[in-house]
Amino acid sequence: MAFTMHLLRSYNYFVCCIVLNFLPIIAYGDDFSAEVSHAEVVLQNDDYVLSAQINYHLSEKAKTALQNGVPLYWHLEVKLQQVNGFFGAKSWVVVGKHYRLQYHALLNMYRLKNEDEGVDHNFSSLASALELMSEVTNLPIIKKSELDSEHQYTCLVKLAFERDALPLPLRPFAYIDPQWYLSSDWTEWPLKK
Amino acid sequence: MATEKIKPPVNLSVLILFSLILLSLQLMSSAMQESSELSAMYSWLLLFNTLGSVVLLILVGANIYALVQHTKRREAGSRLTARMVSLFVVLALAPAVIVFYFSMQFLHQGIDSWFNVEIDRAMEDALELSQASLDQRMRWQLRQTEHLTDKLEDVSENAVTLEIENLRELSGATEITLFSKQAHIIASSSVNPGDILPSLPDEHVWLQLRQNGFFVALVPQREHELMVRVIVTVKSIESKYLQALYPVPVRIADLADSVEFASARYQEMSYLRNSLRMSFTLALSLVLLMSLLAAIWVAFISIRNITAPVKELVKGTKAVASGQYDQQLPVLAQDDLGFLVESFNEMTHRIAQARDETRKVGFEVENQRAYLETILGNLTAGVISFDEDYKIRTANQAAYRIFKVHVNQFVGRTLLELVESYVELTEPLKSIQYLLENADDIWQQRIAFLGPNGRQELLCRGTPLFSQEGFRVGSVVVFDDVTDLIQAQKNAAWGEVARRLAHEIKNPLTPIQLSAERLQLKLAEKLDSTDAAILQRSTRTIVQQVEAMKEMVDDFSEYAKPSKKQTVAIDLNLLIQEVLALYALKAGVKFRAHYQSGLQLINGDPVSIRQVLHNLIKNALEAVGIEGLIEINVHRILKNNADFLEIALYDNGTGIKDDQLEKIFEPYVTTKSKGTGLGLAIVKKIIEDHGGAIWVDTGRKVGAGFIIQLPACNS
Repeated sequence: MAFTMHLLRSYNYFVCCIVLNFLPIIAYGDDFSAEVSHAEVVLQNDDYVLSAQINYHLSEKAKTALQNGVPLYWHLEVKLQQVNGFFGAKSWVVVGKHYRLQYHALLNMYRLKNEDEGVDHNFSSLASALELMSEVTNLPIIKKSELDSEHQYTCLVKLAFERDALPLPLRPFAYIDPQWYLSSDWTEWPLKK
Repeated sequence: MATEKIKPPVNLSVLILFSLILLSLQLMSSAMQESSELSAMYSWLLLFNTLGSVVLLILVGANIYALVQHTKRREAGSRLTARMVSLFVVLALAPAVIVFYFSMQFLHQGIDSWFNVEIDRAMEDALELSQASLDQRMRWQLRQTEHLTDKLEDVSENAVTLEIENLRELSGATEITLFSKQAHIIASSSVNPGDILPSLPDEHVWLQLRQNGFFVALVPQREHELMVRVIVTVKSIESKYLQALYPVPVRIADLADSVEFASARYQEMSYLRNSLRMSFTLALSLVLLMSLLAAIWVAFISIRNITAPVKELVKGTKAVASGQYDQQLPVLAQDDLGFLVESFNEMTHRIAQARDETRKVGFEVENQRAYLETILGNLTAGVISFDEDYKIRTANQAAYRIFKVHVNQFVGRTLLELVESYVELTEPLKSIQYLLENADDIWQQRIAFLGPNGRQELLCRGTPLFSQEGFRVGSVVVFDDVTDLIQAQKNAAWGEVARRLAHEIKNPLTPIQLSAERLQLKLAEKLDSTDAAILQRSTRTIVQQVEAMKEMVDDFSEYAKPSKKQTVAIDLNLLIQEVLALYALKAGVKFRAHYQSGLQLINGDPVSIRQVLHNLIKNALEAVGIEGLIEINVHRILKNNADFLEIALYDNGTGIKDDQLEKIFEPYVTTKSKGTGLGLAIVKKIIEDHGGAIWVDTGRKVGAGFIIQLPACNS
């Protein structure tokens, strides 16, 4: 009898876990995704440079995970798309920047690391760290000479939250929990020559 | 028997699929290790395994559905398959569920055992201790820096640089920088001469500094290095800020880093505890589900393969039960079931052989029986067989021809039961029944009776039938209608008599007549009138009697000679009309004739047939007297699949006495005072010479009736 009850409890626990992990899909109406609020590509000398403002909306689960030492990773991806009219479009990645944000309990600091450049920034508050991540200033994209003047180009920017970089136990649930969808959509605008 | 190639219970593709499932599960298991290179593929592997589980679930579901449908339709082997699958599922599920339950228990307990209050507190305390230690160090270095500012209060701007250098060396700081109120660098000294620019505080530091008047914090430097940044306000005329960077000893930094790492790791693990538990539960459930589903699916395939021979056997048995003995089942395995199938094939082969032999024997028996039936059917003799209770078993066609009774319709009944329906056959049937019951050996007897065809005489022979054991199992009677044969014998005898008469009597008659006439001629003139008269009377008598004897002998000659002299097609209707026309003037006698329309032809001698009609009509006229009715009917009948013309001649005269019926057609039998008694005998002879028959219609109660049947000519 006890065995059966244990079995039922285990089964119920499992089912509850599954249901509870799917519930947020229904329960949460808020959007925790990032948003590219402003972006601008300007020509400086011979380089096209990107300046953008990205707003981060961290969910409670993300904040709690961060507070408990779980590092969060983002990937800023910039693509160029060549418009070929009837034949569709050809796109390629021109810039990719990887950020790693982690809380250090000993120092009570948030450390933001640019993974590509290997530069660390320490912040006493999360807002300060996110603020630094929000501002993309004069990021070189491509040289003007590399573009074909006969074609039209569009620039696409997306901030992708890397769920695969989360600790392994969190990953399956991160894929089905909207609180872990912290990426932005692709933002697209024409490249002015 | 051709042996099939032995097949494994599960084919290669299934084994490959099963191996892939196991590989996928193993990969997922490996991916669950954080350090594994496969951990990056964990989500994909989880998805792949989930999809695999869904596919397996669909396969198992489809198999269960098909099995349920087959069981509902009561298909061969479906119930055995259902029973085996159920047994397998129960046997596989029970230990799997138990293992799963205890695995879950161990897993949860194991994860829970990683975390407890003491460790929590110890980790927090360690972190707090580290923080307190560093805080104490920071406070001490803050005070130390504040003391340094005292030494800068009265120092001129020109000597500041030198003083800062002294202060740095005095305090042990790695870098000391003096900032103006506007955050401009006034002077700086670093232990590393290569550092051109001092470490600059960011805006948040300045903000805090302006709010609190000082700033102190730990600043992570390069890997595993810590620095204490202290900024204090220099009390002078114009506010200035002194920043000092103190290195944290490597040992302390390492210890703090180690504590932080352990604490962070523990905190992360503690935070991920539920996720970890759920993740392991999910993975374990997935492994269990996939393993079970794969096992059940493979069980379906294996059991289907195992029960295939049983299914075939059931089908084969049904086919054999329905009479299809040529069933040969494929031998799918060389095991006990294969041996059973081989035995079944051998059995059906032998049954088929036995059936073929039985069929062949039956066919031969049937042929023999048909042959015997044909012989019996075509026998002119009637054959009736009886069982041990003297009930009729078989009767041939000739029995019908002789008795005019379908004896076949009385199979299972005795001859005495026939008597009730056919009174006219009472005498022969009772005689035969008596002989059957009383004879112990072969018997033979002539039985005469008055049948529907007139007087008939049967020659019966019978024999009891005995089984091989000597028991009486029945009897058989063979009988033949010998009426015609006896009649022919009689006719032949009379013909011989006639020829003898012609030869022995007629020849002397002419000399007798001539001698008497000569006596009359020679002696008449020599005798007196009395004697002459006597002589004349005597010679006349002699001549008359000789004439009479000649006529009698001529009649016999006529009777003896063949009556069918020349054969032509005769229209019987026309011939009868011509004959009747000769008697039309006979006053007082009425003729009534009924002819069947159309030509009614026979092949025969018209003179002879005309004589038949004359004889019969003359007899009838003599029988009816002055007034009477003579009726002639002509119609076509079918007898023994042959066309006959039947002439029925009736009168309303005196009729024929019963005691004369038997011999009415024999010579010298007459009811008249005058006549030779050869008329009807000649009639019968002519009719029989023409292949026909004549008999007295005994059923007629008024006058006499004669029935003549002659073969019809269709062309």
